[in-house]
Amino acid sequence: MSVRVIVRTVSELCITVGTLIVLFVVYVLFWTGVKADTEMDRQVDLLQDQWARQPVRPTTAAGATANPKPPAPYREAKPFALMYIPRLGFTWNKPVLEGTRTSTLKKGLGHYANTAQLGQKGNFAVAGHRRTYGDPFKDFPKLRAGDAVVLTDGAHWYTYVIDQGPYRTLPTDVQVIDPVPKKSGYTRAGRYLTLTTCDPEWGHSHRLIVWGHLESTKPVESGKPEALRR
Amino acid sequence: MYGWIWRHLPGNVWVKALLSLVLTLAVVYVLFQYVFPWAEPLLPFNDVTVNDQ
Repeated sequence: MSVRVIVRTVSELCITVGTLIVLFVVYVLFWTGVKADTEMDRQVDLLQDQWARQPVRPTTAAGATANPKPPAPYREAKPFALMYIPRLGFTWNKPVLEGTRTSTLKKGLGHYANTAQLGQKGNFAVAGHRRTYGDPFKDFPKLRAGDAVVLTDGAHWYTYVIDQGPYRTLPTDVQVIDPVPKKSGYTRAGRYLTLTTCDPEWGHSHRLIVWGHLESTKPVESGKPEALRR
Repeated sequence: MYGWIWRHLPGNVWVKALLSLVLTLAVVYVLFQYVFPWAEPLLPFNDVTVNDQ
């Protein structure tokens, strides 16, 4: 074999590997976002359909804002709520699915399966991608105490208010999603919210956490909560 | 490598060029549809939860 053939083959291999890497970067940065946005839209449509088929409940004058009955257990990998965080953008809304498996988190935000249900006593904990798959929690560090996190399950609006800005911790710190998280400053049992994502932006060495408490619950018939009105 | 493929494609220059394009697109499709989705979870961007592991 001549030197020419060897040099040519090695060069061609280098070019091929380079192209492959560029394509992979395009896939991770761009294509996962396209796929996730399509998938999230589909999940939102599923939810809207599901809610449209629900029977209309008579609005009771008294007790309309009383604690709603505990919802049925959420179905694994199925959407059950929509989350709005005005701080992340006025049009920012994402479906929340049950479970935190990798495949579930590609379709939206994931609710930690063993934590409280929406609006119930305990800690409603949700995880989301910081980067890739639509970058849902890209602006996570911008969240501040006092920011509203609004969720709806089709029957009620739940407005949570963030009490503590991003807290950086280790991936093994599972206490952050406890019913009363130790580091959050909460001392009594209550209706709390925990959001988790990764930190640094493109890494996985740490996690960012924010905590909030349930501020108000109201039936969807009474219109959008204050936090979502412009 | 690419010279070898080019020589083994049938037809005249235009047919060869068209076949090359089709082959390239097929490779990109397989990469995006099967190879990259398999490789991507090996990167750290999926670790957004707290857990015991």
